[in-house]
Amino acid sequence: MRYTHPNYCYTGRPGGTGLREILSRGLKFLLLVALLMWAGPAWAQEANREVEEGRALFDEKCVVCHTNGGGDHIGPDLAGVVDRRSREWLARFITVPDQVLAEGDPLATELLKKYNGMPMPNLGLSSDDAEDIIQYLAAPPAAAGAAAPPAAREVQPAPEMLFAQSMILYIFLGITLVIVVVFGIVGLSTYEQTDVDVSKAFQLRRVLFTIGLILVASVAIATLPQAPYAKEGTKADRIIYVAARQYEFVFSEEPIVTVEDISRSRRITSLELFGGELVEFRVTSLDVTHGFGIYGPERQLLAQTQAMPGYVNRLLVRMERTGPFLVLCLEYCAGGHHLMEAHFTVDDEEPVASHSTQAPLIAR
Amino acid sequence: MHTTPATTYPGTIGAADAAAPSRDLAVPETQSTIYAWMLTTAALFVILALLGVYMRLVQGGALAGLESWFYPMMTLHGIGMAGLWFVASMACACEALRKHVLASSAVAVFALAGTVVGVVLLLVSVFMGRFAAGWYFLYPLPLQGEWPAWSAVTFLLALTVLGVTWLVWSLDILRAVAVKYSLSHALGWHYLRGETEPAVPPAVIIVTVSMIVNVVALVAAVVVLVLFYLELLTGRPSDALLMKNLTFLFGHTLVNLAMYLAIAVVYDALPDYAGRPWKANKIVAISWNSVLLIVLLAYFHHLYMDFVQPATVQYIGQIASYAASLPAAVVTIFGALLLVYHAPMRWTLASVLFFLGLMGWAIGGIGAVIDSTIVANVRLHNTLWVPAHFHTYMLAGFGIIVGHFYHCGRLQAQGRAERTGYHTVLVTLLVASACGFLAMFYVGGAYSVPRRYSVYPIELAHGATYALWAAVFASVFLLTTVLCLIEVVGSWRKGATGGAEAWVGKSAVAGSLRPSTPNAAIGTSAVSRVDQ
Ligand code: HEM
Repeated sequence: MRYTHPNYCYTGRPGGTGLREILSRGLKFLLLVALLMWAGPAWAQEANREVEEGRALFDEKCVVCHTNGGGDHIGPDLAGVVDRRSREWLARFITVPDQVLAEGDPLATELLKKYNGMPMPNLGLSSDDAEDIIQYLAAPPAAAGAAAPPAAREVQPAPEMLFAQSMILYIFLGITLVIVVVFGIVGLSTYEQTDVDVSKAFQLRRVLFTIGLILVASVAIATLPQAPYAKEGTKADRIIYVAARQYEFVFSEEPIVTVEDISRSRRITSLELFGGELVEFRVTSLDVTHGFGIYGPERQLLAQTQAMPGYVNRLLVRMERTGPFLVLCLEYCAGGHHLMEAHFTVDDEEPVASHSTQAPLIAR
Repeated sequence: MHTTPATTYPGTIGAADAAAPSRDLAVPETQSTIYAWMLTTAALFVILALLGVYMRLVQGGALAGLESWFYPMMTLHGIGMAGLWFVASMACACEALRKHVLASSAVAVFALAGTVVGVVLLLVSVFMGRFAAGWYFLYPLPLQGEWPAWSAVTFLLALTVLGVTWLVWSLDILRAVAVKYSLSHALGWHYLRGETEPAVPPAVIIVTVSMIVNVVALVAAVVVLVLFYLELLTGRPSDALLMKNLTFLFGHTLVNLAMYLAIAVVYDALPDYAGRPWKANKIVAISWNSVLLIVLLAYFHHLYMDFVQPATVQYIGQIASYAASLPAAVVTIFGALLLVYHAPMRWTLASVLFFLGLMGWAIGGIGAVIDSTIVANVRLHNTLWVPAHFHTYMLAGFGIIVGHFYHCGRLQAQGRAERTGYHTVLVTLLVASACGFLAMFYVGGAYSVPRRYSVYPIELAHGATYALWAAVFASVFLLTTVLCLIEVVGSWRKGATGGAEAWVGKSAVAGSLRPSTPNAAIGTSAVSRVDQ
């Protein structure tokens, strides 16, 4: 598995690169270079600190609605926003968006209209915070560590229905047909009026009840053991921690319990799993209840659990299929619910020892 | 009550006359409440269904620029329809009970007024505050959405008003039942002991069971609301899992009861049309008493995907959900089918809607039973399968309620002709458009298209196609419903339309969807009994 730590992959320190090259140009620049070596890193470090803090704040407070170079989300993509708006306006809007809007600021009003009437909430940021965030947004994209834009996703026709799903649909349609036929026969029977022997009918009812009871009991006995709940002692090949919040899923190598943990923990920005692996997702939420629904390459549900604040749900999934996977939020969580998604891939390589094609999708 | 033992259900006209259950016509003075309920139900249903069409259009991508109202309107549509269905069923059940049990008319007026106040608060919260936490307002979402805090408080206040009003209403109905019957008689326990006297109408048993369960559900709702208020006042958060359990104990149960009350109405009114009695007996008593226990345990199926809930509770959820379906199918559905089978049936708009309503209940019930299987729930939970199955039986329930309004109207305004041909067209259109509308939900659900998405992700773009088709079907359904409601309201205009033929006993007029048979007159008295 590979992952990147957004917090440690920062490379673009101004003045910190090409130092050796400059040195090699000769003594003539030695003094200047010495100066740079002293002042440059100090200045760079300060700028770096601001950008770092800005990034942490952005990850904590803003990514819910904005991206930095990843396209519009609930609010606009903020890459390059410092070139489009004055810093003063930005600083005010970041700290007191509600006031700016209430004053009837034309820009704020236009944005409100453009983004579906959903106002930006006041997040309680100080002006120092705002300055850090602006620094982060102003830093070059490499410095900002913006993730590569996701591969273009195209509209595809409806896939072939998975076996489990089509079983469900056909069983339903079959029983529905029986119901309609029975009601039809009974309805039409009223054309011809005759006496009905009630005791015979009650006999039939007894038979139907017995059949129904046997049917229902056997379905219960057959399906209950397949319930997706993790059994004690099950050991997964990989454990992925998932923290859900309005409106994103954060994958991590370590538990995330609070919003602050997000920037502290070893976050996984691009998750890759391997076919056959038994993966345990430990799912929780940092705000409201969300759903964690795993859609396979066929774009249909394979497994799901809820992400509930204060609880960790253990979802065990044997990765039987390979290809792109999609995670959707399956519990309504307010305005950005339908935008809340994540992606991961399951590769063929490195099949692990425990691989078994017979294993059920969901571990017992 | 005088009874004539019989071992056969009559199928001939004479026999039907002889066996028609005894009825006293509704006492005039409470008509005004049922009439008010009917008008309120009709108006609100049309508006709320329009919101449904709007939602399907947005999901179909046909209303660019209007998406931002999706979630507030979803909340209004959901809470509005669930609440409306519940009060309309309550009102109809009370009306049906009036022959046996008289609930207080003051409380009936209070219930109507309280409901109106609650609805006004809801409208303020959703339209002015854009409150959008969904109809079951899962904790802690109301406190953490993009809407202002005051709109959440207004919403909670609205629910408090509704909850308290309905609690009083339920308690009054229980009181009224207690005036006439002892609790054990009202629950039909004497049938369990093998006694057959006193004869208690099934509707009384069902309503008593429902009201007891209802009190439990509403108390759970009150606890949820109190915990919300506590958090608002003290900032002390509640436990999300506990809140979810309480929320569904209340939400699931309330919606189920609305259906049971509608079924009580069918138990009461369908015999009039079938010309045969539908009486309580041991089996009916066992069936509805088991419902009393089972329905309170079935709600666990809403928490299958909360893996931290103890596994035993999850298994109980599946077993209880299955168990709830058996008495419904084998006693109620079977009983209704037996009642109609080869009966001298008088098919009118009312009886057709009752019959179709039962069928819809059965079909939606199958969708629910499948979804309450834990392994299937993994694939279906919070997909469109969920609205698919509950719209099936909720539309069915509304069918029964509309049928009952029509039934009451006919009782008041005997002497008007049935417009049989026109009604046949209406019913055909209703059934066809409902099938199309629901099929789009079921197919979407089978394809894992999530519920409660204003816009579908690109991977599930086919969901938008189903939504557009559903919008077309729903529009036809809505138009036909409006025409039906006009018929229903028209049926209340006493003695209108000159030259109307006598309704009772005139086959050509009242007969209807099948060639002809005169039918049992309402108000005849002899009763036959079917014993086990
Ligand atoms: C023409 C009639 C109707 C239409 C077009 C319609 C449409 C819809 C749609 C599109 C949704 C949202 C589905 C989603 O989650 O994506 C919905 C939800 C819902 N509907 Fe309907 N509906 C209709 C009638 C009814 C009736 C008769 C009832 C109840 C008696 C009802 C109760 C509900 C409830 C409770 C929800 C859930 C709302 C939520 O998830 O918060 N609807 N309806």
